[in-house]
Amino acid sequence: MSAPAAFLLRFALPVGIGAALLYAATLSLDPYSLTILQFVGINVILAVSLNITNGFTGLFSLGHPAFMTIGGYVTAILTMPATRKTAMLRDLPSILAAHEWPFAASLTAGGLVAALAAVIVGIPVLRLRGHYLAVATLGLIFIVQSFAVNLPGITRGALGLAGLPPVTNVWWVYLVLVLTLLTCWRVKHSSLGRTMLAIRENELAAASLGVKVARTRVLSFALGAFFAGVAGGLWAHLVTLIAPGSFSILLGFQLIVMVVLGGTGSIAGAAIAAVVLTLSTEWLRPIEEAAGLFGASQIIVAVGVILVLIFRPSGLFGTAEPNVFGAFARRRRHAQSTP
Amino acid sequence: MTGAYLLSQIVNGLVLGAMYALIAIGFSMIYGIVRLINFAHGDIFAVGAFAALGSIAIAALPFPLAVLVVLLAGALVGLLVERAAFRPMRGAPQVTGFIASLAVAIILENLAVMTITAQPRTFAIPAWLGALVPLGSISVRVVDIAIIVLALVLTAALVGFVRFTRTGMAMRATAENYGVARLMGINIDRMIALAFAIGSALAAVAGLMWGAKYGQISPLMGTVPGLKAFVAAVIGGVGSISGAVLGGFVLGLAEVLFVGLLPSEFSAFRNAFVFAALILVLLVMPNGLIGKSTETRA
Amino acid sequence: MLWVDDIHVRRGGTHALRGASLEVRRGEIVALIGANGAGKTTTLATISGLLRPRSGTVRFAAEPDAAPVELSAMKAEAIVAAGVSHCPEGRQIFANLSVAENLAIGAFLRRDREGIASDVADIHRLFPILKERAGVPGDRLSGGEQMMLAIGRALMSRPKLLLLDEPSLGLAPRLVEQIFDILERIRDEGVTVLLVEQNAAMALDIADRAYVLEAGSIVLQGTGRDLAEDPSVRRAYLGAA
Repeated sequence: MSAPAAFLLRFALPVGIGAALLYAATLSLDPYSLTILQFVGINVILAVSLNITNGFTGLFSLGHPAFMTIGGYVTAILTMPATRKTAMLRDLPSILAAHEWPFAASLTAGGLVAALAAVIVGIPVLRLRGHYLAVATLGLIFIVQSFAVNLPGITRGALGLAGLPPVTNVWWVYLVLVLTLLTCWRVKHSSLGRTMLAIRENELAAASLGVKVARTRVLSFALGAFFAGVAGGLWAHLVTLIAPGSFSILLGFQLIVMVVLGGTGSIAGAAIAAVVLTLSTEWLRPIEEAAGLFGASQIIVAVGVILVLIFRPSGLFGTAEPNVFGAFARRRRHAQSTP
Repeated sequence: MTGAYLLSQIVNGLVLGAMYALIAIGFSMIYGIVRLINFAHGDIFAVGAFAALGSIAIAALPFPLAVLVVLLAGALVGLLVERAAFRPMRGAPQVTGFIASLAVAIILENLAVMTITAQPRTFAIPAWLGALVPLGSISVRVVDIAIIVLALVLTAALVGFVRFTRTGMAMRATAENYGVARLMGINIDRMIALAFAIGSALAAVAGLMWGAKYGQISPLMGTVPGLKAFVAAVIGGVGSISGAVLGGFVLGLAEVLFVGLLPSEFSAFRNAFVFAALILVLLVMPNGLIGKSTETRA
Repeated sequence: MLWVDDIHVRRGGTHALRGASLEVRRGEIVALIGANGAGKTTTLATISGLLRPRSGTVRFAAEPDAAPVELSAMKAEAIVAAGVSHCPEGRQIFANLSVAENLAIGAFLRRDREGIASDVADIHRLFPILKERAGVPGDRLSGGEQMMLAIGRALMSRPKLLLLDEPSLGLAPRLVEQIFDILERIRDEGVTVLLVEQNAAMALDIADRAYVLEAGSIVLQGTGRDLAEDPSVRRAYLGAA
């Protein structure tokens, strides 16, 4: 089978089926359920993109909410009607204030600015390892929040930007989701992806084989940040609000949980974990409201996480994809051994 | 700017530093013995604040007795958390414990919100603690002096315990090498639990101090001071008790002076400043001010 | 005093011991020799409770007339208390503890202050350098000094049986001889020794009896002299043509 044909079968077909199902869903589901569906999609985007950073390259980053905040603000500022901008955001440069950008361009810009921030921050910070990196990226959330609160001329400070145009819909989410999955898939099975995995498995060995470790780390950090920025924009225009506290540590934690439960490095695993976790939180919410025990759903999820970590340390779906991946690696070894 | 203003800022910095130091000690001890950054540590600090509120405002205990209650409450919660969440996953990759500690933090916070609501509470202190005493050109409250003194006394007691007692020696041995410690006949589970108990007790006392100093507490109060205390522990050198204390005071002073001495536009960036400082320290001195090499530990 | 019977042990995914059996009698030095990865260290770690056997028994009787206890059901701490002390491979001195503290921690389970003090004095007589360097952190010692400290530390629990893993590792030949002389003294003072060694020649020289471990099972046993003269042992472990 030729490569384009295989690609068509493996990717275009599922995308088409997904679109058909989604169309059916828009006809049959109520608006509330459709909103939930969009949150599920955004969380999958976030978990799968965080998986590039945390899963593929093994960088333990908690900084996704920081990049979402950046992306969310950038997108929101760009899509806002020019008249509101000049009235509300005094310090905005006039080039930005005068124009109202289309949504697609705004989302892309949000992602790019987030990625740029990731590069700037990543070059020094990614020299850190393990726990230290986790805490430094966590600090990033606070730093970004600090800026959002303290630049009222651009962000309206603690108030945030409310009343954004509600342009996010299931199709936008689906489009970004497909692009995210496609990118992750391509990255994972490219030489870049193998480089990332080599760094995760043994950084020293990778470096001695001539892998540009620092560059690859920054690249994987920025790639994750790009999708986080886009997702932040989608989120902001779904709830029509972006505020300094929109994306908190708690969200960062939930995303990490999705990646870990999904089996670090597995795209399908992260996506399934994102769906399960988002839906279970959603289903638990009415119960917790009925019982008057607000926070109970989070406790249940957290307890569940601890139980999984104790009893299934390699993640709930830990074996879902690594098998495919193992077979792939074997094929490569085979190819190398036969001249 | 007057000398008196500077002096009062320094006192405030030392008080904040004393509290950071007590929380940071727990981070450092727990990291030193199980290589875990315990995210729930800041919530134990909050538990301490509420235990203090309960014993002072509700049970009307005298202040020194309240300190004892808070120490015990912190130790108890620390033991419980270790037993329930961390012991079962000992030996797992570090990231596992880190995520589990985030989960514990979420559980503690939500339990607190469910039972006592997220509403901030006023934390009243006895009149004698609020009294002013002259110090050079300024007057400071008794509570400020009490916080600094209590922090130093507790730290000295802990250092003495770890350096000079048989159990303290066993804790140091356990932190270095589980397997060989067991070959010496040391029950490492007990040593790890002890580190959690001591670290948590100190964090809880810091919670009491926080309430006494700032007059207000809430169930979610622990997150930011907890993270900053971690920064303090890193600045001092993770794993070292004296490093944690030094880091705590350095950070407390730096934060207060940053806010107090720079133009007011900057003061809103204090959290950003603290984390920028962390990143800087990590990059320039990865082992902290007096830490040993963490290459094999990190 | 020690009966290891048909133990199977898995370690890090490999089947490290496949039905190994051996016996140590009171007052002996027993040597366990074999190639790298044969399972020697695993055997000691199983006896001292750091590893648990999948099957098989490890029985130990501290006193001649006492009923043997099953070590594989006991925690490492309890095994130390029962009279087995394990001096691990690579010495593993506590780097952040001083020399004196390293000795003191060896007596962690003991409460008899005078007894501990007199044992420290005994060890100082055995290894005078440890007295000189009492206040120095463990990681400042040379390899030979660390080995002495490791043996001293292991003796501080007053063991009936000393498990000694690779005492010759990385030491100059003269130091190795000195250490082996001291092992004989230790045996003569009433501590039974189970010695794991790569240096088969030295080990068989001082051993009363010896076992050869290959791929997780005992393939040969006998007195130290018998094995030293065994052609297959000479070929495989003593470098004879």
